[in-house]
Amino acid sequence: MHSLVQPHALVALKLPSGNLRVLEVTPNTTISLGKYGSFPSNLIIHRPYHLTYELQDKQPGESFNRLRIVPASELYSDILSSGASASALEEETPVVNEGDDADNAMSTGIEYSLVDPESGAVVARTDRVEIDASARQTLTTEEIEALKKDGTDAGRDIIAKLLLSHTAIDQKTQYSLAKYKLLKTKKYIRRFSVLPMDVPMLAHWQLEVKDPSKILDMRDEMIALLGCWANVHFGGEDQCENSGAKGVDSREQKGFESTAGRWLVVDDTGGLLVAAMAERMGILYSPENEAGGNHKEPTSPNVGQKECSHNQKAITNQEDLPSGTSKEHDGSTREPAPEHEDSTEPKAPQSTRTSHGEGKSRCNDLKVPYASSNTITVIHANQQPNLTFLREYGFDATNPAQPSDHPLASHLMTISWLQLIKPELDPTYTSEMPDVSPEVLRSWKPNRRGTYHRKRRRWAKIRHVVDTTREGEFSGLVVASTMDPISIMRHAVPLLAGGAPIAIYSQAIEPLTALADCYSIARRAAWVSNPPEEAVGKTPLELEQWAGNEEFPLNPSLVLGAALQTSRVRKWQVLPGRTHPLMTSKGGAEGYVFTAWRVKPAEGKIEARGKARTRKRKLEGSTQE
Amino acid sequence: MSAVSPFLDPGPRTTPNSLAVAHLSRDSIQPIYLKETSGTTDGYAEGPVLNTRFGSFPHSTLLNKPWGSQIRASVVDTGSRGRRLKREHGEHVADGEKLDNSKGDSTPGTTSSRDLKVAPSGFIHILPPTPELWTISLPHRTQVVYTPDYSYILHRIRARPGMKIIEAGAGSGSFTHAAARAIYNGYPKDAHDVKGKVFSFEFNHDRYQQMQKEIEDHRLDGIVQITHRDVYNHGFLVDNESPGAECVFLDLPAPWKALPHLARNRPTQSQLSSSGLDNLQDTGSEWKSPLRPDRTAYLCTFSPCIEQVTRTVDVMRHLGWMEIEMVEVAHRRINVMRERIGLHLPAGERGSTQTAANVEEAIAKLQEVEGRYKTSRGQSQDVDIEMGEDDETAVENNPIDGSKTTLLSSEVEGAQSAKPWMSGRVIHRTEPEIKTHTSYLVFALLPQEWTEAQESAAFESWPCGKERKVIGKLDKEARKQEKRELLQGKKRKKDTDSKSEAERPLSKKSKTP
Repeated sequence: MHSLVQPHALVALKLPSGNLRVLEVTPNTTISLGKYGSFPSNLIIHRPYHLTYELQDKQPGESFNRLRIVPASELYSDILSSGASASALEEETPVVNEGDDADNAMSTGIEYSLVDPESGAVVARTDRVEIDASARQTLTTEEIEALKKDGTDAGRDIIAKLLLSHTAIDQKTQYSLAKYKLLKTKKYIRRFSVLPMDVPMLAHWQLEVKDPSKILDMRDEMIALLGCWANVHFGGEDQCENSGAKGVDSREQKGFESTAGRWLVVDDTGGLLVAAMAERMGILYSPENEAGGNHKEPTSPNVGQKECSHNQKAITNQEDLPSGTSKEHDGSTREPAPEHEDSTEPKAPQSTRTSHGEGKSRCNDLKVPYASSNTITVIHANQQPNLTFLREYGFDATNPAQPSDHPLASHLMTISWLQLIKPELDPTYTSEMPDVSPEVLRSWKPNRRGTYHRKRRRWAKIRHVVDTTREGEFSGLVVASTMDPISIMRHAVPLLAGGAPIAIYSQAIEPLTALADCYSIARRAAWVSNPPEEAVGKTPLELEQWAGNEEFPLNPSLVLGAALQTSRVRKWQVLPGRTHPLMTSKGGAEGYVFTAWRVKPAEGKIEARGKARTRKRKLEGSTQE
Repeated sequence: MSAVSPFLDPGPRTTPNSLAVAHLSRDSIQPIYLKETSGTTDGYAEGPVLNTRFGSFPHSTLLNKPWGSQIRASVVDTGSRGRRLKREHGEHVADGEKLDNSKGDSTPGTTSSRDLKVAPSGFIHILPPTPELWTISLPHRTQVVYTPDYSYILHRIRARPGMKIIEAGAGSGSFTHAAARAIYNGYPKDAHDVKGKVFSFEFNHDRYQQMQKEIEDHRLDGIVQITHRDVYNHGFLVDNESPGAECVFLDLPAPWKALPHLARNRPTQSQLSSSGLDNLQDTGSEWKSPLRPDRTAYLCTFSPCIEQVTRTVDVMRHLGWMEIEMVEVAHRRINVMRERIGLHLPAGERGSTQTAANVEEAIAKLQEVEGRYKTSRGQSQDVDIEMGEDDETAVENNPIDGSKTTLLSSEVEGAQSAKPWMSGRVIHRTEPEIKTHTSYLVFALLPQEWTEAQESAAFESWPCGKERKVIGKLDKEARKQEKRELLQGKKRKKDTDSKSEAERPLSKKSKTP
């Protein structure tokens, strides 16, 4: 994540009304905030995040509004002065003392303050103001409009005038005055702050502003719980950086030292879950160019990307890019992620072995651009995964011509359920492109040659993804899906390594209670004491692939500690003397998380120990899970 | 053997001298450091043994097993050990000496992992340690920050791989472990290799030492650095160097006293006095902020009482923290069970209620009772009045009665043969006891400093005034302007007649409010 707003970065602008406006900061454009005014986008490019700006009045001879950073002391001045403790800090009423009429009237007439419940800022107090008029609000609509048009001072004078012209202001209680002031401030003050579009912000935006059903109503606390219970974290640097293509069996040797951090994800939240997990693993954001190279060339945003790609290579340490291939690929525009990554050990040795030592280009076709650790494998129900939200982070999973400098390009794999369960039925997986001798290849038209290479690369990629995924030994499973969790578990649990955690999110509790019931104590005990006929005599390996029957939809001995939980965050307003929980908040789907661990049952019959009394009791009440 | 912490990369199998977690039951989880057998240990011939209520498990049976393995209990002589130990300590015990001898002779030295006898019952599962499991099982020293809280905190303060995080009040270490996992992006290879790191501060010397040991045992050195420090007075610098932290978590009784040390610049006199704080002690030296200068700093404080929150927030406002927000996390665990209700259920079975499951069953029951009553009354009447009609009533009542009882009894039989894990309705309810309050979480952030010089430099490289386009929500004026330009462009191209052009923007304008 960059510390400064980059050109073409996606940012969220938070307005005084609390609304968010998400937009791409295109250089040399005017960003309009609607009624709050507009300003040049260049004024926030290469400025830090989280600053609060105020739109200044246009200076003579300038066609744009400059911005002023509002210091915290000014933002909080009202609150702090209202606080009992604030005796020493006597109203540093900062800045803006241009001698404006309204301002003077304001500071002499009323002392007020305002609350923003969102940011927890302020509330009011007032000294009486004597205004005599008959109507409640003496300003006419025309006058207000005129003020809005040529009002100055970031909207403060219009607020002050509105307050001054309100006849019943002295009848208002402290709180109703505060409310009134707040209302008007939200409406007219020309302030905003620039927030980075990280995962919490994306989730918040989708939840509060856009369509919460798209992300299955998944709140921050749920994302956080999923990530923790699934133990998702940085999964180690790529172990195969030196082993190269020869290390077909290197995994076996390495196996005893460390495991690759690979996580299995089922995501029906449009990519939000994948983004959140990628953020935890440190592969969501393109690496920054620490040198700050594009400070110098402000108008060419591509510079940054190019530098990124260098960094990326430095990080993954995989510059095994034969110069010949890249040239050749440059010709075809629809080139899949270029092979700057070394191939991890090929998981389909029989297929790759044939091509080893042969023509360089073909060998590279079969090189797979994927890392072997710190990866996410997404299983999707449609032909293409829906990972729309990853686009906000500069990654488009559906586009094979993806720039490879993004960490996700080498660390995110996608596989459909068909490819996982019945790969022989998947056309891409089965359609291996035959080896073609270089002579024949050269005789082909460039077009045909390009297609050949493209298809071959695609096949190699899919082959790799399918084979490594089917091999299993994943470090954890994270699910936020609309599909039945029982069916997901049936196929996903055997792919997990022993001790791997499982975390499943569901909007409603019913699918998860059904799942938890599959692992109930009574069922587990029954599985051991009188197993179903179909299961008798099967090896543990066969039982891992248990297809499920009516009594035992899942093999209950493969999972331990099935538990359900939910969590909800409640926001508070903290103000001197007025601290309480917010009066309203968002409802909707409650959201539940199922957690468990994948375990390896001991072979043979196993008896629980505990206070087993009668035979009947033991069946369901044996104290041990 | 890998030097990586088992929390971060446990490897595929259990290894010696490494932490593992024995999962006994849902709420009974025990951390163990697995040791290789080295002769008799602690009186056990089998070497170190883990004793649980589900049996005894010599470490040799737990070692070099794939994670997640189910391990059977072994037959371990636990009874004689205590007596032998006592005797060795010179306390001669007359009773059971013979028994002791016989056992003692047979076992010592001879028992190796191979000829350990498997106990007829009892097992545990062995799991790799995670911060979650550790949080459940850790030795309590202070109030623990539980998973629902720390997961949310780490999410909110943006603790990600490669970050530096300050944690004050290491406490029991649950947050430390979770934070270490969050910021982990590899171990630093040398002194100049900068990786994610947890800078932990603990005031209590005992806890500091325990934490220090834990960090070593868990192989987290290099990732967690704990300092014995009173942060209220001495701040957060480590070896007088700034940790350069992006995230801060304060689990202190008085977080406001630590806040002035977390400023970008030395807090002014007025800022301190207005928030009721004393002056900082080390006034002489140059100010070094523990925060990373070119990043926004995210902060969370963790306080159980509302008064602490009010005070903290007040000081935060004085010191210029932004986006201050206070929340509390309400977390519930949910139990799933089967609810079996019905008259036909066998008595005394756990989780079943012997009441009518529905109206039909209730009516059937009532009819049955009524019928029985009638028969008995009829019979008594017969006895009393001695009329000859009893045959008739018996005939009338018995068929119904009989059919009902047979129906019920057949249901009972059916229920007994039915699987208890299949019958009844799946229900869920909140765990019997919930943590209704852990602590209040106050979040805030401090943007990086932005000087006039930086601003003018940025303005130089990104000059304004050449804006070509408007993005974002347009106001009426801008929308009109854009339309006009668009149409003018079209006009130039197509040279359309000016009348229709004038009409179009008008109609557009009237549509938009």
